[in-house]
Amino acid sequence: MEDISKDTLIRASQGDIQAFEDVYKASSSFVYNVALRVVNNREDALEVAQEVFMIIHDKLKSFRFESSFKTWVYRITANYAINFAKKNSRAKTVPFEESFGEGAVESDAHAQMDQEDKSKLVERLLGELNPDQRACVVLRDIQGLSYEEIAQTLSININTVRSRLKRSREKLMSLRKQVDYEKV
Amino acid sequence: MKKCDHVKDLILTDYIDGQVDKNIAGEIENHLLDCNDCRVFLKEVKSSVIFPLSQIQRLPVPAELWDRIKQNIEDENQAVSPLLEFFNKLKGLLLFPRMVPVFASFILMFVAGSVTLNTIQMQQAQAKDQGEYLVSLLNPTSTASLDSSDPGTPIEHYFL
Repeated sequence: MEDISKDTLIRASQGDIQAFEDVYKASSSFVYNVALRVVNNREDALEVAQEVFMIIHDKLKSFRFESSFKTWVYRITANYAINFAKKNSRAKTVPFEESFGEGAVESDAHAQMDQEDKSKLVERLLGELNPDQRACVVLRDIQGLSYEEIAQTLSININTVRSRLKRSREKLMSLRKQVDYEKV
Repeated sequence: MKKCDHVKDLILTDYIDGQVDKNIAGEIENHLLDCNDCRVFLKEVKSSVIFPLSQIQRLPVPAELWDRIKQNIEDENQAVSPLLEFFNKLKGLLLFPRMVPVFASFILMFVAGSVTLNTIQMQQAQAKDQGEYLVSLLNPTSTASLDSSDPGTPIEHYFL
């Protein structure tokens, strides 16, 4: 996420739409991509990102600069996306076996795995984690946040960050083995 | 074996994420030189989890997102504006500098009026008391006579 000057944030908090657009430009890539990977669905990601920016817009007036603006945005985004995913997970999660059923394996079996396939694979693997685990993996492996930043963002203990990452990666490894086994 | 479990835990988290200090990293690397099982495990973690996730592309933000947000902000502003306008008018009316002398002269007039009224009432009361006293002096049978049957205090009883 790009840095935003204090002056821009103050102007945006006073209702300056141009300044708020600057805030949006600096943070929209982070917000949208985290939302996308946590909710694992483009239409939902758009909805989550929109709500996150409305929260930022409405609460910017009460932002006191005691914590970093980046951490504040990380926290709003991750927590909103996790809650959204938890509410909607039962209705929208595609079972892993269904994603990698015979048809899917057969169609890919003789082809090289290109970038799109890799993305789909990652989407499907992430879809097997619960929203809390997914958020940890996304913030660490895709956004490159440190353990300390993840702990602050999700308001959890640093050891909880470790254990969520460990369990997520173990699960992803076993799922990858399952995919490789089915393809052979 | 116990050491391998511990090393594998660190490989899955702190070691692969660069969160361990140099001493611990050195110990893990020494162990990896001697332990084929842990070397294979590290390779597997990198190839099956870390590498695919790090290769994932950041998708461009759809242009419609800003349009939707801007529209929402405009809708919110419109919904709030009549109420806000009323408060602003009220605030402007109370705080507008040209109105300050008007309010001040009203307050001054009220204070001066009440003081004048009070003085007149006091003067009227005094005049009434004096009139009654004079009438009582001129007319000994009046109710205000000094020869009252009840002189008042015990000392007055003694002398009268």
